Amino acid sequence: MASSLAEEEQVLVEEKLYARTLVLNRPRQLNAFSFQMISRMLELFVAYEEDSNVKLVIVKGKGRAFCAGGDVAAVVRDLNQGNWKLGANFFRKEFTLNYLIATYSKPQVSILNGIVFGGGAGASIHGRFRVATENLVFAMPETALGLFPDVGASYFLSRLPGFFGEYLGLTGSRLDGAEMLACGLATHFVPSTRLSMLEEALCKVDSSDPVIISAIIDKYTQQPHLKDKSAFLRMDVIDKCFSRRTVEQILSALEEEATNKKDDWISSTIQTLKKASPMSLKISLRSIREGRLQGIGQCLVREYRMVSHVLRGEVSKDFAEGCRALLVDKDKNPKWEPSKLELISDSMVNQYFSKVDDEEWEELKLPARTNLPVSAIAKL
Amino acid sequence: MERVSWRTQVLSKHLQQPPSQSPLSSNPCLSYSPPELSERFDFETKEMREILDAHNLQDRDWLFGLIKQSGLFNPRNAGGRVFVSPNYNQSMEQQREMTMKRIGYLLDRGVFRGWLTDRGPEAEMRKFAFHEVIGIYDHSLAVKLGVHFFLWGGAIQFFGTKRHHDKWLRDTESYAVKGCFAMSELGHGSNVRGIETVTTYDSNSGEFVINTPSESAQKYWIGGAANHATHTIVFSQLNINGKNQGVHAFIAQIRDDDGNVCPNIRLADCGHKIGLNGVDNGRIWFDNVRIPRENLLNSVADVSPDGQYLSAIKNPDQRFAAFLAPLTSGRVTIAVSAVYSSKVSLAIAIRYSLTRRAFSLTPNGPEVLLLDYPSHQRRLLPLLAKTYAMSFAANYLKMIYVKRTPETNKTLHVVSSAFKATLSWHNMRTLQECREACGGQGVKTENRIGHMKGEYDVQTTFEGDNNVLMQQVSKALIGEFVAAQKTKKPFKGLGLEHMNRASPEIPSHLTSSTLRNSQFQMDAFCLRERDLLKRFAAEVSQYQKQGESKEYSFILSYQLAEDLGRAFSEKAILQTFSDVEATLPAGSLKDVLGLLRSMYALVCMEEDAAFLRYGYLSPDNAAAVRKEVTKLCSELRPNALALVSSFGIPDAFLSPIAFNWIESNSWSLTQH
Repeated sequence: MASSLAEEEQVLVEEKLYARTLVLNRPRQLNAFSFQMISRMLELFVAYEEDSNVKLVIVKGKGRAFCAGGDVAAVVRDLNQGNWKLGANFFRKEFTLNYLIATYSKPQVSILNGIVFGGGAGASIHGRFRVATENLVFAMPETALGLFPDVGASYFLSRLPGFFGEYLGLTGSRLDGAEMLACGLATHFVPSTRLSMLEEALCKVDSSDPVIISAIIDKYTQQPHLKDKSAFLRMDVIDKCFSRRTVEQILSALEEEATNKKDDWISSTIQTLKKASPMSLKISLRSIREGRLQGIGQCLVREYRMVSHVLRGEVSKDFAEGCRALLVDKDKNPKWEPSKLELISDSMVNQYFSKVDDEEWEELKLPARTNLPVSAIAKL
Repeated sequence: MERVSWRTQVLSKHLQQPPSQSPLSSNPCLSYSPPELSERFDFETKEMREILDAHNLQDRDWLFGLIKQSGLFNPRNAGGRVFVSPNYNQSMEQQREMTMKRIGYLLDRGVFRGWLTDRGPEAEMRKFAFHEVIGIYDHSLAVKLGVHFFLWGGAIQFFGTKRHHDKWLRDTESYAVKGCFAMSELGHGSNVRGIETVTTYDSNSGEFVINTPSESAQKYWIGGAANHATHTIVFSQLNINGKNQGVHAFIAQIRDDDGNVCPNIRLADCGHKIGLNGVDNGRIWFDNVRIPRENLLNSVADVSPDGQYLSAIKNPDQRFAAFLAPLTSGRVTIAVSAVYSSKVSLAIAIRYSLTRRAFSLTPNGPEVLLLDYPSHQRRLLPLLAKTYAMSFAANYLKMIYVKRTPETNKTLHVVSSAFKATLSWHNMRTLQECREACGGQGVKTENRIGHMKGEYDVQTTFEGDNNVLMQQVSKALIGEFVAAQKTKKPFKGLGLEHMNRASPEIPSHLTSSTLRNSQFQMDAFCLRERDLLKRFAAEVSQYQKQGESKEYSFILSYQLAEDLGRAFSEKAILQTFSDVEATLPAGSLKDVLGLLRSMYALVCMEEDAAFLRYGYLSPDNAAAVRKEVTKLCSELRPNALALVSSFGIPDAFLSPIAFNWIESNSWSLTQH
């Protein structure tokens, strides 16, 4: 019992009237999701949906992070011990949680007062309200790790204005709170000094009506200032370049822009893309492109196929290598294989999108969702 | 609040159940439930889509995304979803300008790269795939591009020689020049050889001189001529030293770079149309327009500087045929786009029929889903099966087009004529049925289907009137028949090899399993084709014996000619279906395709009176066919959603009634 208590403590629960606040409580790991945390979140979300005494779910993080993603280091430990299925199981659970959040019948308010990376985005962006603050740092940094933007990112990135999603997903660029609001990843911006008042007000709510909840949050919002060097102000270049058909064409469009005029932002964008795993770039672009035309469920099923292939490493072992270079050895010098975009054939990319050829492997089976409100149905 | 409670009362009375907290959401009649939650998916829709779209799937998805992400394509939010479709409420002039802006956007994004400068089957297939996606968005946009790239660009590619390619192709691909294609005249459409525009050669200046000699010779329906085109291909009689050398094609400029009309050119608008108002169809008159000698597209014939007519092909008939053969691409794109239009309308109508209910079977009982009515199944599912069959036929047509050789020209001409007519007719019929199946909602422009009837109607006319094309099919078949009789050689080509074998026997009593047997189905179609061909040949020769000319005999035998054309098309389509099936491993996908193939074959038999008229089916067997169709309807019903999902048309390209039509029609959405 002692250990299970410890597990539960990784997610603290505060109950006030009709509101439930889930506090991600692993501050030393920047609240990175452990398998236990995800299981616990899933359990709580399932229970709250049926509980008529719950009308609102608030999610926040303890310390300077909301959540820095899935605990990839643990997955890679399993991987290095030859156990890719344990890792796959982690993602299966996480994606199921993402699906539940995306189709949740009650409003979720995520307080994004700090770091939101990868899996942290999956646990918040799919929800109804995302409150940004001046402390928010958002990124989908997977291509630098040899992975791809998962947790349903192919759904939400592809629905950002123009081709901003491709830009974020491929470069892993960071966004602040103002940028999150501008591009639509956040629904509100509230200065962190007002958070306690906001939470207090939310805890008095006795309604699941999103209009009412939105009106409450509105009272604490502020119009943030978009910094002059924001990528969001470079939408013309982003649309022009990141709309291209292939990664190679995106790069050459950027290079063409760079030759026309010297521009630090463009050259650093090019540098970032060149440092990322070529295979990650290829599968990420295709994932976002397919996701644009799919529902959230289809996106997660496809991403689960992809992540299973990434873990198995039959085409490329870049994920293990990326984690080694960035998280374990920290030499920041990953040796990607294949090392260049030109060395990656269509059939290699196709493999990531096919079923996994393993008798024990199963497709991601998402829970049946019925009697959903319109906002949740739209995501199906 | 008063209003809400009043409505609640009305609704509860209407439903005759005690008022509950939310009568709207609890009653199955009045709440929307996504069909995905209740319908079966027995096979992988993704795999089915790979068979249907057949090529460049990722390229297609990229372009779908490109369209969806741009504000230029008129995205609208309805019921929590984004839909893209042109604003057809704009004036004709506005729609035309939007078409050009959208072209500019796609051009900047590199969509047209290589459309004229890359060669080979792969490049052609990619171009087709992009063109299909664009057509799913808007027919005007596809037609406007088709005129510029396939007609103007194609004419330069195929009728021109290196000097034309070097000068024009790159500039066409980048839209430095905007091309149009002036073939039809007020007095001559399908009969191109009869056009009246006349061109002479002035050896003193080394120029051709083009003239419109009469009002009936004005160029008519010329897409691009009314507003945007800078250049045109001109089809004209070529008169050299008083001798008419037949129809030739020339390049003439009609506007300068600033859009001013060139001297000696008169342009006028064709005006508002029942559809395709995003295309600026215009009229052109030529008043002694002088163009350099090099502007004759000289792949089959040329004029020397001193005015001598030179051609390797002496026979003007053959010269004309060689000349027009490459224009098949127009018929190919029409046939293919007709299928995609049918797919859009079926996807919308079937999705709607899986969420809309009407009438109860018992008093106070739940109302019944439209598609659970056998009559509704009978209206939509046979059209669905035909659309599958024609999808395979269209893919086959694209394939023989991109792999064409001089030897396959005849096959290509006959098959493209037959499929263009059959598929575009099928599309019009499908659109009408789907419109009706959606009831009043089908009438709303935002729901696409009703509007598409106007947009696609012209497909039965342009690039060759359907009836004329079908007559050409029958003429080609009778040509084969007469030749085989004369030379005593076996039939070869056009799928007529079955004529060399004994006539197939149709069992006197048809069981369900026989009816679903692909060999039986093919036998029945072959029997019809061979018999109609013989009857047609006999009737023509009968008329000829009575002293009528060959041409007039054909005209008099039009009924059999029509029947034969239909028999040929339907059999050729069935063959493409069987060929696709043969490539698939056993499994749920193949099973459902088997049902669709049987549905296609049997519904063709049911609809064509020739089967009964000429006794290929006994009245009893015809009744058995009809009964089997209803059985197939009920067997296909559970797969209906999966079958339309397999079309791979993104949600944003369907319409609000295909999704939560209650929400998209809610009061709150009228408030902003």
